Amino acid sequence: MNHRHLLPNEIDLLVDGESGFGVTPLRAHVAECDDCRTRFEALRELTGTIETLPHFTPNIRFSDRVMKQVQVIEPWHVAVTDTVRRVVPSNGPMRVAAGAGVAAVGLLVSSGAVWLAFRADLATWVLNVAVDSSRRALLAGAGEVAAQALGTDGAAALTSGGPPVLALSAAVLAVVVVGAILGFRRLAAVARTTRV
Amino acid sequence: MAPPLDLPNLPDADVVALAQKGKEAAFRELIRRYERPVFSLIYRMVRDSTAAEDLAQDAFIKVLNHIDKYRPEFKFSSWLFKIANNIAIDHLRRRQLDTISIDGSPHATTASDIAATSFDIADSSENALDELAARELGSEIEQAIGKLRPEYRNCIMLRHVEGRSYEEIAATLDLPLGTVKTYIHRARHQLRDALEHLRE
Repeated sequence: MNHRHLLPNEIDLLVDGESGFGVTPLRAHVAECDDCRTRFEALRELTGTIETLPHFTPNIRFSDRVMKQVQVIEPWHVAVTDTVRRVVPSNGPMRVAAGAGVAAVGLLVSSGAVWLAFRADLATWVLNVAVDSSRRALLAGAGEVAAQALGTDGAAALTSGGPPVLALSAAVLAVVVVGAILGFRRLAAVARTTRV
Repeated sequence: MAPPLDLPNLPDADVVALAQKGKEAAFRELIRRYERPVFSLIYRMVRDSTAAEDLAQDAFIKVLNHIDKYRPEFKFSSWLFKIANNIAIDHLRRRQLDTISIDGSPHATTASDIAATSFDIADSSENALDELAARELGSEIEQAIGKLRPEYRNCIMLRHVEGRSYEEIAATLDLPLGTVKTYIHRARHQLRDALEHLRE
């Protein structure tokens, strides 16, 4: 028997369940030496006791409290992928049909774009017509509003005055509106102060 | 349509990957898995259930709000325990609770060093324990653990309650491997001495 008693770190190796060439003689020593076996078993019993210590449980609402302060952010590429996944049918033939439909629409749109590109003059003409119609509709609407607010004569005066008069009228209107808003706010503030 | 996820049976790395994709259920699963170990570790550090719950909450919020910064070469649990440990240590430093060692610096090697760095304080631990803590942490072993210096206590808890390897503990606590072994060795022997009377 080896009469050198085990060092504390050697007992630790045994307690930690280490294995290997160097540990075998330590085990053999413990099997034969009462003193070292007592020290080893005391430490093993202690670690066994620690290992039985329970986990404590926090409040049942712990998870909710944490989640209230956690920002769950879905990255845009994940959101896009998920949306596509939701839209794409899971059924094989349906998926093929949907793919064919998307391809057909894509082809149609692309063809239309190419056709328009080769006929830029036509596209310009269509664009001009659309812009002109929109402008006329807008002016007609504004004219109606002005006629109701200022009367037919006032609206006629405004129209005949041209863009400078129109701009001046718009500025005056804006000043009146802003002034009214500020006045109401001030009144509300005074009323609150008086109530307190 | 994708099949429903079996979150409880997924490994941590997969659940974290789902959380990084913004899946709230994955966040909740991570909390469910680790709320008890993290709370227990902090509770045994600060020995005050209300403070422990607040600190555990802070640890989870910090980790989950930075889940995109998680590096998969480390274990998620090690990262979480590291944050929890840092938060608890900061709290103890701020509050200078009873967990401050009364046995001198861990780096003290001679008797005079130990004496010079020892604290001579009245045992305020019993005052600091609320009724719940007194009941939960009142066993001989819990009291003995409570008297260990915080770094020893953390190491011994991670080793024997959480079943972490020495290497994992070293990574978690940012300590050299040799230091972890020394702390665990000292903690075991201090606990053995503290509980010696129970064996007689």
